[in-house]
Amino acid sequence: MEKLEVVSPAGFSAVKISGAAHRINDLNGKTVGEIWNGVFKGDLTFPMIRKRLKEKYPGVKIIPYTEFYHLPGSDIPQQQRELARQLVATAWQKGCDALITGNGA
Amino acid sequence: MVITTTGFSAQARFTGKAWGVEDLRIAEYPGPIGIHDADQIARNVESVLFDGIIRGLTSEAGAPGTGSKSGRYDQRDVVCIGTADEVNRHFAAQEWTDGLPVVPPTIARVEQFLKFTTRAHDEVIAVLPSANLCATPWNVAVNAVMAGCRPEHMPLMIAAVEALGDERCSLANLGSTSGIFPYALINGPIVKQLGIEHGAQLVSRGPNPAIGRAIGLIVRNIAGFRPGTSYMGTFGYPLAFTLAEAEEGTPWEPFHVQQGYDRNASTVTIGVTNNWGASPAAYDTPDQSGAETALQLLAREITHKTRLFNFPASGPDAETVMITLLISPSVARALAAAGYTREDVIRQVYEKARMPLREFDWVLKYTAIARTTARERAEAGIYPKAFMGAPDDIVQVLSSPDLLSVVVCGDPHRNRIMVLEGGHTRPTTKPITLPSNWDELLANSSK
Repeated sequence: MEKLEVVSPAGFSAVKISGAAHRINDLNGKTVGEIWNGVFKGDLTFPMIRKRLKEKYPGVKIIPYTEFYHLPGSDIPQQQRELARQLVATAWQKGCDALITGNGA
Repeated sequence: MVITTTGFSAQARFTGKAWGVEDLRIAEYPGPIGIHDADQIARNVESVLFDGIIRGLTSEAGAPGTGSKSGRYDQRDVVCIGTADEVNRHFAAQEWTDGLPVVPPTIARVEQFLKFTTRAHDEVIAVLPSANLCATPWNVAVNAVMAGCRPEHMPLMIAAVEALGDERCSLANLGSTSGIFPYALINGPIVKQLGIEHGAQLVSRGPNPAIGRAIGLIVRNIAGFRPGTSYMGTFGYPLAFTLAEAEEGTPWEPFHVQQGYDRNASTVTIGVTNNWGASPAAYDTPDQSGAETALQLLAREITHKTRLFNFPASGPDAETVMITLLISPSVARALAAAGYTREDVIRQVYEKARMPLREFDWVLKYTAIARTTARERAEAGIYPKAFMGAPDDIVQVLSSPDLLSVVVCGDPHRNRIMVLEGGHTRPTTKPITLPSNWDELLANSSK
């Protein structure tokens, strides 16, 4: 049988890879923001998570998702980038040390 | 950090990496949250999700990222040496194929394709989301070879990739569980030059299937959409297909002229179609469980089908109707937990598939081939007597629960249903007879 030499169909990456930001050992005294895009029942899960975070870390400050844009966003890339920029700006303005985003499904 | 639900963490990691974050921190909610009620969600948050969130916020992932990494490789590198079968097995293992055999992309064959473009072989034509990988004439040609295209299809393929990479195409959204997949529409003189079919059975004839398949492979291998990782359609994907407009037969300006191109220009347009089912989500309906929502939705889908006018018919003069209900395992479990057997589901959908006679009459008047009214059909004994009623009467649109079959399949973590409408045939099942040495044959077949 003839042996064939073949090449890859895959693309190659266009982005630089980096790691995630360093984690926070103790959330007491820190500010955690909630980012929800209005789907998959974040309005049920985030209040539960908020309550448990405050029980575990009494000194944590939570910025609820209601203080961010929290409706299903546009599916247009330019609008998505703008919304991401706005969310980050709001997080900085509110002094967030960490963000929890969800629910992805 | 990111909260996902079961089955979607790989997609989150994939997306993070596509945007440069190697070790995105993820906490996974167990199961399809869309059909979980508040009590179940509270239990899952408490027992699983919350601990994951704490780990994600407070524990380092391991070694931090390395700052930057080049993904570029020599496109002429040989990745496999073997027979056509061996090449196909290797490509399947790499998830580079769509499940069908491919034409082995040898360098000689790829170079034949590259003769049909003036672009440099390593020129970046587009960066395709969602993986954000670079498309070049070389890797586009490789995928076109694999799909069974001809070398002269290259200019069309390059234009298709430019369309896929254009922001208007919003390719990053393709991973939805609703199962969005692309099609190509070809316009202009190239349709005739390449013999692309634009008439009867066009998607199944001429070079159309290979061109569509090549676009599907490019979406997989360069845009990075892999079923189960980043391409999340609950019931999967048919092959991408190709249309060409019947420009000589249309009374209007061709599609590409409407888009601002000269009539003599040749164009390719990438569109998508979303063919796979609805997503029962008992969300703002505390009075109704996910199971009840699924039953209502299945029944509602039936009343929107193309050949609805045949569904109430019975007797020797009735056209055969066959309706298959695809139910993802999570929805099946919700139905079973509510006490429904498979037969119960069929019976419930049969009972619930109803609509006002006035609306059914419209369907009959404007979509049925034979010009008869519901009353005439009822008087002839083809429809039940209820179809002789008043316009506001609610009629049951299925003649029998026997028209329905239930098949449980699809993403176990997603709540989705699909109603497949068929006719002129019945579900026909036969046993598969195996040779006595089946196990031995099977064991040897993969060697």
